[in-house]
Order: sequence, then C-alpha cells, then structure tokens
Amino acid sequence: MLRSPWFKLMALKLLRLSAIMLIAGFIGATLMRIAPGFTSDEQQLNSNLSAQSLQAIRQARLANSDLPRFYLRYLGGLARGDLGVSQSLNQPVQELLRERLPVTLRSLAVALMLAWILGLSLAAATRLSGSPAFTLTADGLSGTLISTPAAVLALVFVVLRWPPVLAAGLLIFPKIYRYCCNLLQQSYDLPHILTAQAKGAGPWRVLARHVAPTAMPQLLALMGVSISIAIGVLLPIEVICDVPGIGQLAWQAAEARDLPLLVNLTLVVTLLIVCATTLSDLARQGFNREAA
Amino acid sequence: MKKLRWVAMAVLVVAMGAALGANYIAPAGYEHQFRESPGASPSAQHLLGTDELGRDRFARLLYGARVSLVLAPLAAGISTMLAAFFGGMAGYFGGWMERLSLMVVDLFLSIPWLFLLISVRAVLPLNVSPQSSVIVTFLLLGFLGWAASARVICAGTRDMMKSEFVGLARATGFSGVKLVRLHLLPNLRGTLLAQFWISIPVFIITEANLSALGLGVSEPLPSLGSLLRELQNVVTLRPEPWRFVPLAVLVVVVSCFQILLNRSSVEQYKAVLREDM
Repeated sequence: MLRSPWFKLMALKLLRLSAIMLIAGFIGATLMRIAPGFTSDEQQLNSNLSAQSLQAIRQARLANSDLPRFYLRYLGGLARGDLGVSQSLNQPVQELLRERLPVTLRSLAVALMLAWILGLSLAAATRLSGSPAFTLTADGLSGTLISTPAAVLALVFVVLRWPPVLAAGLLIFPKIYRYCCNLLQQSYDLPHILTAQAKGAGPWRVLARHVAPTAMPQLLALMGVSISIAIGVLLPIEVICDVPGIGQLAWQAAEARDLPLLVNLTLVVTLLIVCATTLSDLARQGFNREAA
Repeated sequence: MKKLRWVAMAVLVVAMGAALGANYIAPAGYEHQFRESPGASPSAQHLLGTDELGRDRFARLLYGARVSLVLAPLAAGISTMLAAFFGGMAGYFGGWMERLSLMVVDLFLSIPWLFLLISVRAVLPLNVSPQSSVIVTFLLLGFLGWAASARVICAGTRDMMKSEFVGLARATGFSGVKLVRLHLLPNLRGTLLAQFWISIPVFIITEANLSALGLGVSEPLPSLGSLLRELQNVVTLRPEPWRFVPLAVLVVVVSCFQILLNRSSVEQYKAVLREDM
C-alpha cells in the first residue's frame, strides 16, 4: 500500500500543504512581531502596578522579541489549537471562529453554487445557441460585473434589500463564465469532437458525451481556485451588508489593528483554500487516471 | 471585435489624457473647498456639483483618476518585475529551484489577496500621511500581486529553455546573463507585457475595494476607489445620479482594459489552474 502511486501522491500533497502552512505561519508570526507597539503592553501605563510587576511585564514582552523563539512558541500554540486571544474583542480567537466560520461557509457554498450554475449554463448556452446577440449580452453582463468593485455591488444590494449572497454569486460568475467559454471553445475544436459532429451527433449528445468528459479535469481545477476567489469577494460584501462572518471579523480586526486575530483568521482561511485546492487537484488527477 | 478594441483604446487614451491634464482641466485643486456652496448640484461652475465639504467633484474625479491610472501601472510594473524574477528563475533553473519557487507562488495564490493586504496594511504606522498612504497602498499591491503572473512566466521560460534556438545558443557558448539578456528576455517580452497590462485593472479594482472599506487611499487625496466612499451615503440621501459618475468612470475604464486583454487574462487563468505545469 505504501508503494502505491495514489499513496505517494497523497503524501506529496500533504507535505506540500504542511510546507505552505509553515511558511504562512512564519509570515503571520513575522507580521505580528514587527507590528508597531509589539514590545509594549497597555498595562505598563497602569500607575497602580508596582515596579516589580512592570518589570515582569516588560520581561515577558522582551522574551517574545526573538523572532525564531516567538515563531516556535506560536507554532506550539497552533498545534495545541490555541489561536490566542483577540486584543480588540477580548475573546479567544477559537471562540470567534466557531461563531463566524459557519456563516461564511454557508454564504460561500450558496454563492459558489449560484456562480457555477450561472457561469456554466450561460457558457454552454452561448456555445449551443451560436447567437451573436446572446453571446454579446452574456459577455456584456460578465464584463460589467468583472469591472464592478465588490463593495459597490454589495451597496446596491443593501439599497435594494436583496440577499448579499446573490451579490457574491454574481461577482464570482464572470470568472467562471469566461474560463468555461474558453474551455468549451477549445474542446469543440478537438478532432474527435469535430468527427462526432460530422457523423451527425446532436448538440446535446456532443456536449454530454464528448465535451463534458474532456473539459472535466480543468473544471475540477477551477472549482478549487473558485473557492479562493469567493473568499476574496465575500470580505467586502460581509462588511458592507453587515453579515457576521469571517470577512467582517477580519475587517474589524484590521480597523482595530488586532494583528493576532487578523493573522490567525488569514491562516485559517489559507488552510481552507489549500485543502480545497488539494482536494480538487486530487479529484482532477483521479479523473485523469480513470480516463486513461 | 476589432472595432470594440479600438473604441476601448480611444476611451483609455481620453481618460489618461484627462487624468494627466487635471491641472489644466480641473476648475480647482482636489482639496480646494468652495465654502459657500457645499453639497451643490451640478452647474456650469461645478460640472458634477460639490461634496459635503464643498470640494468640486469633477476636479476630484480627474485627480482621482490620475492617482489610479498612474499608480496602478507602477504597481503593475513592480509585480511584473517580481513575477519575471521568480517565474524566470524557476523556469531557467528548473529542478528544486522551480519546485521551491512554485511553492512560494502557491502560497501567495492560497492566501486570499484582500486578507493579506489588510493584514500588511494593519501593520503600518497610524500616522502615515495621505500621500504616503496612496504610495503604500499601490506598493503593497505591486509587492503582493505577482504570483499568478509568475506561473505564466515560469511556463514560458521553461518552454523556451527546451526550444531549439536556446539549445543552439547554449551550444555556442551562451550562458547566464548573456543568454537571458539576448535570448530569453526579448522572446518573453510579449508575455511580460501581457502580464503587466493584465495587472492594471486588477489593481484598480482591488484599490477600489480597499478604499471603499476605508483601508486604502486616505482623505483628502482622491482615487477612483476612495471616491466611491461617497456612495455609502446614497442610502439615506435623495437620488443624485451625478454621484455615480466616479463609479461609471471606474467601470468603463476597467471594462476597456478587459476588452483589450481578454485573451491574455484567460492565458493567466490557465496557468493558475496549472494546466501546463
């Protein structure tokens, strides 16, 4: 079992995931370490504390000033699941994540589903209809949405009182639509698909039997990437539409300069994305293997 | 399609010309206050009216466009250079160097861009001047936004290293800097330019999102993004369509870039998806 190519692939992916998370953790720890005011503590301004207490606080802060030691301590905390305490909200980061993560994950799932349904079906429809007017309309819609800042579309949705998740779906859709259009174009130009069409196979049959299997590996890879796009889109939407998710929490942390919270949130989101892209990569390779 | 590209090009040239000529076209400076007419409607004197502080909206739009249209290419230049360095090194040396470089690229692609930007932005001191804030914002965009382009350049360099003409050049004694300067860079010029142009609209939109969230360019300096902050009051105000002009300009400018770069951006997308890795 240990020698099977599948096991090797999994081990390599896990190794890559761990390396990426270690580097991301190091960047996070460095950011926290170099942030202004890291070596001082608010308690040092407390006039009721004795000179000895103040000295102890100073010593504790100085002990963290050595970056490698700070990073190791930080990693140790992460390994125990201790993500620290938010400075601005005075709550454990883990607790905040437990409250906010499900909200973002729900929005993420719905927005991605909407974007994929819209993007894929519009791309297939433009290809199957062959109508220039339809293509121009779909291209125009995707072009306008890709050029609109997420914050502005979120504002429009607040004014119209429409669900924010729909705005997220609409902002992710053009990226999926454009890539799918290109992918379908490439697939339809392949010799075996041209042959199938020449032999009289109907458009739906060609799409389902020939184009879809050819395009599937790339679509699986796009699925992984679309999660990263969706998380980036959700941040401004959650802020403007007042959705209590991870994006809003990150913005609040940035406004309050709450680096421990912000860096840990970024790490958690990075882990989510790396896991998603790893899974989509594995699915793609599995599909390729089966097709071969 | 060709006509549409020409129209897009013309719009961009006009926008760039107006932004660069803001000193001559704008009726006042971007921070000049007409204290007698705050919140004025459009008139012959103030084409887009004035904001709550009495500043001419048209002037702020021109200066804001200048900030975005001049600094976004600067940031795109930085990110393209970084992408050329990392992607080029990976493609040129191959082996462990390529694997290491691509891992760094993967890391940058895995961290959501806005999260990384706001994290780095939060580390900066509070007392940065508006001028510094605008430079810092675009520098951050440049230094953090190179990963996707690096993949494309890595693939291009790798293909070129396998090509016959590079093989011939190496056989005749070309190596190192000479090979890069005389053969690789001239042949990668198209790819590098495409990556440079692709990054511009991406940076304009990202700056707009950051500024709309209050984490980008700070007052009183305008940018296409920071002008959108005024829209946040639209909910409570009577409808004033001229307030949407900065948004319309932003959408038109970015759309024009998208029209000109449609094919190149799909190529970049493919590289991110590692079709050719």
